[in-house]
Amino acid sequence: MTEMPAVEVLNLTKSYGGLLAVDHISFDVKRGEIFGFLGPNGAGKTTTIRMITGISIPTQGSAKVMGYDIQHQPIEAKEQMGIVPDISNVYNELSAWDNLVFTGRLYDMPKGYRESRAGELLKMFRLYERRSDKVEGFSRGMKRRICIAMALMNRSSILFLDEPTSGLDVESVLMIRELVREMNREGLTIFLTTHNIEEANQMCDRVAIINRGRIAAIDTPEKLKRTLESLQSVEIAFEEGRPNLMDDLKRFPTVNEVIKEGDKFRLLTDDPPTVLASAWKYAEVNGLRLITMNTVGPSLEDVFVNLTGIRPAAEGEGGQEKMSETRETGKGREH
Amino acid sequence: MRQSWNRTHLSREVRVAWAIATKDMRTYYLRPPSLMFGVLFPFALFLSFSIGRNTPISTQMPVLIAQTLFFASSSIGPVVIPSERALQTFDRFLTAPVSLLAVLMGKTLAGFIFGVGISVIPIVFGVAVFGTEVTSITTLMLCMFLSALGFSAMGIMFASMPGQTPGTVMMPLNFVRIPLLFVSGVYTPIKDLPAWGQVAAMVSPLTHTIELARYGLGGENFFGPFVNVVVLSAYTVVFLFVGIRFHIMNQRKE
Repeated sequence: MTEMPAVEVLNLTKSYGGLLAVDHISFDVKRGEIFGFLGPNGAGKTTTIRMITGISIPTQGSAKVMGYDIQHQPIEAKEQMGIVPDISNVYNELSAWDNLVFTGRLYDMPKGYRESRAGELLKMFRLYERRSDKVEGFSRGMKRRICIAMALMNRSSILFLDEPTSGLDVESVLMIRELVREMNREGLTIFLTTHNIEEANQMCDRVAIINRGRIAAIDTPEKLKRTLESLQSVEIAFEEGRPNLMDDLKRFPTVNEVIKEGDKFRLLTDDPPTVLASAWKYAEVNGLRLITMNTVGPSLEDVFVNLTGIRPAAEGEGGQEKMSETRETGKGREH
Repeated sequence: MRQSWNRTHLSREVRVAWAIATKDMRTYYLRPPSLMFGVLFPFALFLSFSIGRNTPISTQMPVLIAQTLFFASSSIGPVVIPSERALQTFDRFLTAPVSLLAVLMGKTLAGFIFGVGISVIPIVFGVAVFGTEVTSITTLMLCMFLSALGFSAMGIMFASMPGQTPGTVMMPLNFVRIPLLFVSGVYTPIKDLPAWGQVAAMVSPLTHTIELARYGLGGENFFGPFVNVVVLSAYTVVFLFVGIRFHIMNQRKE
């Protein structure tokens, strides 16, 4: 007998007037897994999570959480879940302690239990010393931690995280990721919505890629990468640059595309040995010193780009990424 | 990981509603819009219409009580709900294992307590300073209880209308509240109104507040306390029901 999924989404649809934001999507989330919901801004990720958690009413379709239909058994379904929305919706006028205790009261937790749980979580998130301070004076990362702690108050079976690390400092990002992994090891199912491909790659057991309201692919990150085995690349870096370097690289035989990544260049090709040979020759002829030369398999980002046509742009701290619809196909493009 | 607390559904709804009410009381009572529209506004209106009029204080006291109940109770919802919707803290209630009715009852309770608390001030002041005589404490308490509940639910209903923001919600509310002052027998006794005016007075919930207040302080009552109680109770139910429908509409739109 198969175990009941943590989340079952069937034909879920949301339309705003004539705009179809989520278009008849169906998928399951297994118990105990970290499930990534990956997509560019405006793809329908947050709309989907809002329908599954009961904030928004679907136009069509259904969603079950731990076997309970969110529309027909909302109390039972909501008892099973903790939610961290895309913005930290904490009560700024209340202290960190009061935010957690109030959340406990919303879940009707007995006084002694909610207070011990609040203390435990504040210590876990390294905010216990600031428990009496109003949250309005907290940094963005601290507010995010309070928000996650609030979602954990009721010891839920599944945690919905909508862009949990977006826009945070590196320390907060690393701390949140480690805590999520730790909670997952303890048995908590995680539904992680993100536009950060590397985060999904590092953390998720399975990933669904959503684009323009539709599920484009759903599988483990490694299996998704294997679907693009033909998409290989060579990563090279020279000690010093030279004028027109990018244009020269684009002219290498068998190179389909060149992507600049920091001080490195990634040359997409079907034939890495030919590109390696060209790179050696080019360095020799032009008196350049190669300091990096690697062959690289397809990444989850490549899968994402292949499916959505959207390439993430580096954002800065915390490994965050933004999506920009700038991708073109064919040879000789610069990013 | 999940832990069950085995509490009955109804008692849980009541406890959660109270938790929401106490949180709102702590958070929103001292906000400038609450104080301006809930406290300053009714007293200023009362003074602007009463100063210089040669009417005894016993006639004016029910007006002040009704106005404070009306404005104070109906001002908390419009301060709370659009702010919470804008900051998405209202989503916490939508994802909590509790009914929408319990959430709105909690919000209504916050306005109810605010309205009762503010309207006690003129009563105490009237009794202590002007020797106002309370002839029926039961009627006066019914007046305060039902009116504060009904007007708080009215504020919640307006605040729940789709598309309302903290900056815009007071406009439609005042568009209704202020005209009601003129058709509810506040400044003109109902018996002196034309027939259409008496029908309008019957429909206005504020009429029934001022009628009960007058009756409790020994004054005349046109429709009778029973009708007043029934109408105010019915309005509370209707306001809450429409408020819930508005929230469901919002959830369909979001």
